[in-house]
Amino acid sequence: MNRFASLSPEMPKHSSPRLSSPLLHRLLALAVAAIAMSGATLAAHDMWIEPTTFAPGSGEIVGLRLRVGQDLLGDPIPRDPALLREFIVDDSEGRKPVVGRDGRDPAGYVRAATSGLLIVGYHSHPSSVELPAEKFNQYLKEEGLDAVAALRAARGQSGAVAKEMFTRCAKSLLLSGPAGASQRDHALGFTLELVAERNPYALAAGQDLPVRLTYEGRPLTGALIVAMNQSNPSERQAVRSDKDGRAKFRISGSGMWLIKAVHMIEAPPGSKADWASYWASLTFALDAPARQRQAS
Amino acid sequence: MTAGRRALVGLAVIACAIGARGSADAHEIGTTRVAVSFAQPGRYDVEIVTDAAALAEKLETVAGRPRASMVTTPATPSDAQLAALDAVFRTRLRFELDGTPAHPAITYAIAAPADALSPPVATVHLRGEVPPGARQFTWTYAWTFASYALTVRSAGTAVSTQWLEGGQTSAPLPLSAPAAPPDRIRTAWRYLALGFTHIVPYGFDHVLFVLGLFLLSGRLRTVLWQVSAFTIAHSITLGLSIYGLIAVPPSIVEPLIAVSIAYVAIENLFLRELRPWRVALVFAFGLLHGMGFAGALKELGLPPSEFLTALVTFNVGVEAGQLTVIAAAFLLVGWYCSQRDWYRRRVVVPASVLIACTAAYWTVARLAL
Repeated sequence: MNRFASLSPEMPKHSSPRLSSPLLHRLLALAVAAIAMSGATLAAHDMWIEPTTFAPGSGEIVGLRLRVGQDLLGDPIPRDPALLREFIVDDSEGRKPVVGRDGRDPAGYVRAATSGLLIVGYHSHPSSVELPAEKFNQYLKEEGLDAVAALRAARGQSGAVAKEMFTRCAKSLLLSGPAGASQRDHALGFTLELVAERNPYALAAGQDLPVRLTYEGRPLTGALIVAMNQSNPSERQAVRSDKDGRAKFRISGSGMWLIKAVHMIEAPPGSKADWASYWASLTFALDAPARQRQAS
Repeated sequence: MTAGRRALVGLAVIACAIGARGSADAHEIGTTRVAVSFAQPGRYDVEIVTDAAALAEKLETVAGRPRASMVTTPATPSDAQLAALDAVFRTRLRFELDGTPAHPAITYAIAAPADALSPPVATVHLRGEVPPGARQFTWTYAWTFASYALTVRSAGTAVSTQWLEGGQTSAPLPLSAPAAPPDRIRTAWRYLALGFTHIVPYGFDHVLFVLGLFLLSGRLRTVLWQVSAFTIAHSITLGLSIYGLIAVPPSIVEPLIAVSIAYVAIENLFLRELRPWRVALVFAFGLLHGMGFAGALKELGLPPSEFLTALVTFNVGVEAGQLTVIAAAFLLVGWYCSQRDWYRRRVVVPASVLIACTAAYWTVARLAL
């Protein structure tokens, strides 16, 4: 049973593995498969940027696909002017808006005008969702939002329907030309943001990738940050951010990687929702640049 | 389905969604759409249009095939590849007629992408017989993670649309005509609003075109001549396109719309007053813009019983949007400045240059995409 198999209406979502031992991972996968047969629906989905290539050649146009889904299996989200707050690319020439046509997938296009790292960012306006208590509680558990679960329990709201506004803060790192350790990801100023503190395309063998999670520009402590690889998304690494908002991941496989985190706060008074969540994601892919490095 | 048509579908989905929601309850809408038809007596036909590569990847994964680790534009799956996964596909959709699951015949067809950056589109048809006396149905589709539109079309009845999340079961829907026909006033208001929002705030290109017309001269007469020509022209092609009498692919219409904006703005730099051929050109450009409006309106699904009401009110809404733009421009600059000697130098020329540059950029971008 793979992880996606747990996402049908007949099958509930799994819990997030937060354990590092392979044996525990397997046990968990079995538990997931068992729960999968019992019958709830899925709660919340990841959102990430999946470019048509992570390693564009000089001058190449890249389609920037927005994907919503689970386990890096996603559905396209076309460009929606009602949802788009910021869609930008930052490269060595500076920051530019990502162009595209409303209603189209890919939602944006970028030309790799210069050699180096291209930091692509998509920041949405909030979308609303109303979740039954059981689904919402399950989702809080999966995303490690223990403080919210505790607050709901303390208020006697654990059985209540939850109205939520969710905002997407997705980033993707593309590399045009050869990799260099001096190329760095940096903050784009998103509400919740993951920043790779080392160039993932220039990692030496055995070197971990440090990331930093910020909320409104300040380090976010104790948030669950999850990393997964496209070829085996059930083998996820999940780490709580330290007091500086930092976490490290072992980036050992090739293919596309997704690093993600969710932060939830009480919705501001006067809004129609009870909770406001922010979904940060960061994608990059290792095989193409590796080939490029060998070639160069 | 061509990439152009797909773009229209996406646009219509968004336009439809915008019409159906407030900004506070926006949803992440995908590219999937489902249309249930009972147009043929005693039979049903459910059409699912979705991203082919995303569907194939999910089917393959659930079937237990290893995931690809390479990240490239996914290869276009074949009809046969999807058909081979038919048993898997059936596990996550449910079409029930009066509470009894239907067992449809399913066909899969994939249209190749129009260009390297456009995704291939899969069209899946579920067909079968409606049991005699069946009165309602429910629909569940769990092969998408995003919100999607479910459209229902019955013989001689209105098209109804509802929004569902992936995996969500629809409310029971009647197979036959609803008891009450769609209210004319409500239809009129709805399509009026859709027409208006198609210009303000979502039709920035049309806004720039109208501003281009406004900038030619501060005289009301000049603006009225041009706007009248534009309106008559776009009404003609909107009507002809909606009735299926003309069909020009958006891959041709959209770059030409951008060219028309650039042309009008550039001409403002050389022309100081209205000439008859300018009116004729604006009329020709209006024909183009009308085809653009028709694309969006078509996919919204015009109610057959209120077809003309919807068509006319949508057009009126578009017109109201344009007049709002002109009124705003007139109040902001025209009223005070248009008779000043610096109006042309400080307003018309820089604004026209800005519009021309934007439109030139759009032309290139739309040709490139």
